[in-house]
Amino acid sequence: MSRIQIEGLTRRFGAVTAVDHVDLDVPDGDFLVLLGPSGCGKSTLLRMLAGLTPPSAGRILLDGRDITATPPRDRDLAMVFQSYALYPHLTVARNIGFPLRARRRPRPEVASRTETVARVLGLEELLHRRPRELSGGQRQRVALARALVRDPGAFLLDEPLSNLDATLRTATRAELTELHRRLGSTFVHVTHDQVEAMTMATRIAVLNAGRLEQVGTAAQVYDEPASVFVAGFLGSPAMGLLPGRIEHVEGSLRVLAPDVDIPLGGPDPEDAGREVVLGIRAEHLLLVEPTAAPRPGAALLRGTVRLVENLGSEEVAHCLVGDARLPVRGPRPLGLAAGDPVTLTTAPERVHLFDPASGRRLVRRPASAGTAAVSTHVPDLSAVSPS
Amino acid sequence: MFVELDAPAPVAVRAVPPPSRSARLRRAGRSLVPYLYLAPGLVLLGIWVYRPLVQTGQLSFFSWNLLPTTPMVPVGFENYERLFTLPEFGTSIWRTVVLVLGLLPFTVVVPVAVGLLARRVRGRAAVIYQALVFAPLLIAPVAGAAVWQWLLDPRSGAINQVLGTTTNWLQEPGPAQLAIIVITGWHVLGFAVLVVAAGLAGISDDYAGAAALDGATPGQVTRWITLPLLSPTLVFLVLMTVLLSAQWSFPLIDTLTNGGPAGATTNVYYLLWDYGFHSFDAGLGAAAGVIFFAGFGVIAAALVALSDRVTFHDN
Repeated sequence: MSRIQIEGLTRRFGAVTAVDHVDLDVPDGDFLVLLGPSGCGKSTLLRMLAGLTPPSAGRILLDGRDITATPPRDRDLAMVFQSYALYPHLTVARNIGFPLRARRRPRPEVASRTETVARVLGLEELLHRRPRELSGGQRQRVALARALVRDPGAFLLDEPLSNLDATLRTATRAELTELHRRLGSTFVHVTHDQVEAMTMATRIAVLNAGRLEQVGTAAQVYDEPASVFVAGFLGSPAMGLLPGRIEHVEGSLRVLAPDVDIPLGGPDPEDAGREVVLGIRAEHLLLVEPTAAPRPGAALLRGTVRLVENLGSEEVAHCLVGDARLPVRGPRPLGLAAGDPVTLTTAPERVHLFDPASGRRLVRRPASAGTAAVSTHVPDLSAVSPS
Repeated sequence: MFVELDAPAPVAVRAVPPPSRSARLRRAGRSLVPYLYLAPGLVLLGIWVYRPLVQTGQLSFFSWNLLPTTPMVPVGFENYERLFTLPEFGTSIWRTVVLVLGLLPFTVVVPVAVGLLARRVRGRAAVIYQALVFAPLLIAPVAGAAVWQWLLDPRSGAINQVLGTTTNWLQEPGPAQLAIIVITGWHVLGFAVLVVAAGLAGISDDYAGAAALDGATPGQVTRWITLPLLSPTLVFLVLMTVLLSAQWSFPLIDTLTNGGPAGATTNVYYLLWDYGFHSFDAGLGAAAGVIFFAGFGVIAAALVALSDRVTFHDN
């Protein structure tokens, strides 16, 4: 049972800042996924939690206790490494029992707990083998068993699924989720795989270049990405993004770009002329029959199909609108071929707007707050909001 | 009516005409290329290692004084019989065992201790430190021996002055053997430290990190994780020490003690050299060489077999 709080955690390697003032609050029992591309600092952040990399600045609190300077063995955390780090000279049984032997627990207790954990993870048959005699999936289980045997306060998982094949990864994902549900412990899981993040996390922390971009549930980070980075990183195909400009046309606001005209509704003349980045997810773009007359006032995007990808159940058409590529996803067949002109529409509430300079999401200030101005906004999703 | 879907139709393969004579030759030429690359090395190995080995075997059955004008007299196993009746043969083997045991601290124990302690030295400091440790190996053994001779001088030598003793280091049997061991150890220590450092660098940091999180103290990590994973390196160093100690010490013995006093520093290599090139009994020297070659071969095979059993490859 552990709550992990991180305050202003920073790690510099020479001139490079790998982790830059990260604040996070992981409540007890949370399954937090640290998500980001390679080199975003997620593994460094996890290693600082584990005590394997000392932070350059900031504090780590475990259940309110400052553990920033505590050596790893006194932190009551268990970690599964990307390489699994199974001790190659020890059998599976001795690998699993290692944390208990290191803590000088009596021999019968080590044996019985090792056996229990091995049974839970289906490793009884392998107890006398050495790590090199195991398959990738079996090694991953042994690493997990070694973490489980001690009943730690929290589990740190560093890309534990990245060395498994696709089928095994899907199965193990479900097992980890089930394990988390059963144990109710705090899990911090590092991955670059958005599917892992979306399916397993109770909350996702998206990192980019050492900075926290957004913390929220899977639905929040997908439906309301807090920045251009999050919008482009999550979703497959990635969200289509194109530069545009807010204009005041005939009493209402519209986003305009070459071959793009999307109504925003509402009379907010003070936003007129503002440059924005416009984002629309592939599944929210709809094809308009070329023969049908466009509904007056509807969002309209015109472009050309460059490529159509067949995903089995669906097709993705990559369209060139102005200078930007917008993917359109729909049930197969879309009836499009490369070179076809297309007219697209979308529901205005599905359109994401971002500030081109800061990259942060633009949201409407509620009408009750007075003038309906567009303001940069960081969703208040965690106790400590991202920097 | 349902009909079964056909399996994918077999792909029509057009038979390739049999290769012509020139094509066959070209292919043979291509398969020859790797052996051509190996040839120079194999030829040198044959000329400088295997031919002398065979010649030594032949020579051990002759009596010859190394003079080209003297005929070689075949004597059968007489050289071997003489060898086993000579007391110095047995004592030289024991002196070699003492030398190997005396060198193990310099080639295994101290390098492991230094390697473990020096892991925290990083960057430029590590390069300088390793260069310093490695330097003795770059000193020619004979030049090093000359300096040690001054240091060990019974009257004015620095060693006696520092220790406050009057030992005649190179002229008393016990101290002479000790001096040879220490000087040889000083010479090869840097090499052994570098080998250990390379072995330690090859062990992933993840193991120590995992063990630390699993609750192991730094001492437990060293004893339970680092040293077992270092075992391939340690076995290699033991193997090197057993097989090469006598050779490493040869230039020092030849310069400092000539195998003396009273044969106290005559190990097996010095003995066979002494037979061949001091006593000019080439047949006896060759017989000793054959015996030692066989003996070291057996020891090496045993150590290699042992290393396969005790080492765990980090994958």
